[in-house]
Amino acid sequence: MSTQRLKRNIGYILGGVVAIFFFLAPLLQLIIMSLTTDQGFGFTNYAELLTKSRTLQAIGNTVLIAVCSTLIAVVLGSVMAFLVAYTDVFHKKWMEVLTMAPFVIPSYIITLSWSTLLSARGSINGFLDANFGFKVDIYSLGGIILVLGICNASVVYLNVLPFLRKIPRDLEWAARVCGRNLWETLRCIDLTQAAPAIASGGMLAFLAAIDNFAVPAFLGIPAGIPVLSTYIYENVIGFGPSAFRSAAALSVMLSAIALLGTALQGMLVRRSSGMESIREDYSVRVPLGRARPFVQWITLAFLSLVNVVPLITTITSSFFPVYGTKTLENFTLENYAFVFTNRGILQAFANSAMLAVITCMICIVVGTALAYSKVRRHSLPSHLVEQSASLTYAIPGIVLALAMIFHWTMVPGVYGTILILMIAYVTRYLVLQIKSSTNAMLALDISLEESAAVFGSSKVRMWFRVILPLTIRPILSGTFLIFMQSLTELTLSSMLAAAGTRTIGLSIFSLQQGGDYQRAAAVSAVVIAAVVLAYGLSALLPHLLHKKRMTPEAAADVKAVSAIQAA
Amino acid sequence: MSVIIKNVTKVYGDTKALDGVSVEIASGEFIAILGPSGCGKTTLLRTICGFVQPTSGTVEVDGRLFSSEQVQVPVEQRGLGMVFQSFALWPHMTVRQNIEFPLKSRRNKGLTPAQREQAIDAAIASTGLEKMQKRLPGELSGGQRQRVALARAIVEKPALLLMDEPLSALDAELKISMRKEIQDIHRLTGASVVYVTHDQSEALAMADRIIIMKDGKIEQIGTPDEIYNHPKTIFAATFVSKCNLVRGHWVQDSFWADADPDKSSPFYRGPVEDCFRNADVCPVRPEEFVMSRIGSGLAGTVVNRQWGGREILYKVQCGSELMTVYTDISAAFAEGDSVVLQRGEAMHHEVAV
Repeated sequence: MSTQRLKRNIGYILGGVVAIFFFLAPLLQLIIMSLTTDQGFGFTNYAELLTKSRTLQAIGNTVLIAVCSTLIAVVLGSVMAFLVAYTDVFHKKWMEVLTMAPFVIPSYIITLSWSTLLSARGSINGFLDANFGFKVDIYSLGGIILVLGICNASVVYLNVLPFLRKIPRDLEWAARVCGRNLWETLRCIDLTQAAPAIASGGMLAFLAAIDNFAVPAFLGIPAGIPVLSTYIYENVIGFGPSAFRSAAALSVMLSAIALLGTALQGMLVRRSSGMESIREDYSVRVPLGRARPFVQWITLAFLSLVNVVPLITTITSSFFPVYGTKTLENFTLENYAFVFTNRGILQAFANSAMLAVITCMICIVVGTALAYSKVRRHSLPSHLVEQSASLTYAIPGIVLALAMIFHWTMVPGVYGTILILMIAYVTRYLVLQIKSSTNAMLALDISLEESAAVFGSSKVRMWFRVILPLTIRPILSGTFLIFMQSLTELTLSSMLAAAGTRTIGLSIFSLQQGGDYQRAAAVSAVVIAAVVLAYGLSALLPHLLHKKRMTPEAAADVKAVSAIQAA
Repeated sequence: MSVIIKNVTKVYGDTKALDGVSVEIASGEFIAILGPSGCGKTTLLRTICGFVQPTSGTVEVDGRLFSSEQVQVPVEQRGLGMVFQSFALWPHMTVRQNIEFPLKSRRNKGLTPAQREQAIDAAIASTGLEKMQKRLPGELSGGQRQRVALARAIVEKPALLLMDEPLSALDAELKISMRKEIQDIHRLTGASVVYVTHDQSEALAMADRIIIMKDGKIEQIGTPDEIYNHPKTIFAATFVSKCNLVRGHWVQDSFWADADPDKSSPFYRGPVEDCFRNADVCPVRPEEFVMSRIGSGLAGTVVNRQWGGREILYKVQCGSELMTVYTDISAAFAEGDSVVLQRGEAMHHEVAV
């Protein structure tokens, strides 16, 4: 009994120390730094910032961009979710892939693509200029809003789609019986029911817009349009440690907006009535009749235009030199030769790959262990670590990066090496693993473990023969997300990377900032290929695995079904 | 409101959910559609209310064509009331708002606010929901939700009320007590009721007539007494009155059972439907058996005994056949006892009439 208590106490202390040292201390450092003045402590840093017109401009831009891009994202995401969930359009798989593309492809590549498509010398602007006498400037507030809106539509879509499917059809039928036609029913039943999900998706899009660094960095910095995240970046990179205090104060303000949003989103999720059915219903609720082909092709064309054409333009442009027309005789692989021979770029690929792998390995072990002790042992320290880890995920990346600098410069041998990036990635993404592992553990009936124990399995045997085989797929879904995000990460590395520890995202960023668009496009094309390959594999893998295991599993299913029928 | 369903067939892919179904429902009649899951009873109900368009055949209500191959009057224009298995209450509306909802539709534009309030109050009063009006459905118990669903279905005073397994989501006690409330509402509104269920006791208890369905076809239509005492098909016999099918052969109106060692007199004598005659079986309900230790009849051994309070259920192995027998509580047989099963005289007499 006493050894058990000792073990529990050690667990408490260890969990507490980890939560405080890795997750909370950096944030605390940030707050302290923002309050530090030459005379001691006070709000001077904030007061000074708020008198600068550029700060106010940055805050104004941040809010304006976040609100407007969220509106675009909500409309686009919800309409797509409606079409896919309820109507009888064909090619839903393609619609989903196209809608989700910006979720998968890093936003700096999408931004780069749009800036290539709408470049001042590009064919679209050439056409507009010749015929209508104006050009579209993507390096503008409107441009940032457009790209962010398109990028974040996928977030809304992901949130709304399953919810729409879960609204019980009975509720619609009851309204029809009570004298409402199909469209009235959609408005007063489905839309009202889905409102919390749409609002919560919108809130997530808003948070993503505030958090986003890539889009305003690529489009806003050249045009001199500050938002809070780029403003912090510019201060730190431009002025070094002397700007730390004001950057910290800015970060605290930005985090305040983000945390407020997160809290609101949490409230919206809880507000949903909880009476929706558990199962998703895939049946057609809104037959479009003769309008179906029209709606379907218009939607596909629109999605391709928005999410594919820019990418294709970028990939195409990577095969041509900076100057000269895009004709066959100008075709060149020179940009790719650069990508595959330049030591800096190759180093960046190696760094990103290594960071992604190590981050995943740490996250999967730590995250799953925490999830298990949280679900099965209801352990308080695991809850504490999870809460802290969600905090480091909820605050904007640029803020976390700054906090990492403040905190880890205290520990020698971390800042300036690859270690700081690794720690930052784990700090940022661990919560994703905890969440997916928690879902996996919740779905595993405890009696399966108990029966393994009753039949004499050791702990190790139980993990490898019972727990992991039944939970590995949902666990890996979180790991995969972490892998893709850390492989293409930009925000943290833009602040934390040093000479030898640059990442892919940062390489593309530097090339773009230096005006080297074709080479940036070539690196992007390689990244797109890697992302498509990774997602293709992840989509295929379950099928391959499933085929192998088909026989025993299928047999078990058949047995279960026949047992139920017999009963 | 009278409903005439003529030769309705509904095909999904290669399966016939409904296969040439014809039935007439009289005004004010309470009719139950009874059958196992997948028999097409829900499809038939959805055809009447308009969620399903028949592949062929017609549905007419009071002389107006509601559904055919070409015509499909939209659900919202049919003016029906319906109670769903899941109750389908809108979770974001209060009890009163749920009940008010049908009255705010286009088809009730002519109502004055006072008339509307009056109708809502009447529906609420007839379901005993006066104290729940401001609650949300999530705060109600199963029985209360059921009452709200009923109130919503009757607030427009529809002449046709459809019910899709309305009691199956309730626990056993509540099921029994809600039967009376549904009967009361039927009496109160005078509406025709079409009531879908898979529970034969519900159908027998409440319906004026029962439609037995299987594999998309109607097996038998009749009053509860006809269905229970005079099943016309093997399915109706086994599904509703849980008949044992004693094997043997018919010679005119005499049945000679295989498991009856005494070949001097027939096991049963009386008229029988052709389907039983053709299948060489005699239907015997569990309570029709008289079980004794000696005498003539089916010779068997008690293999299982379940005490039920009002009666005792025995499983008796007669040769290769397993019979289900209900006896009154005083009969004392044990597992392993050799017994003889006869068909009871009282029932015998009634069937012979």
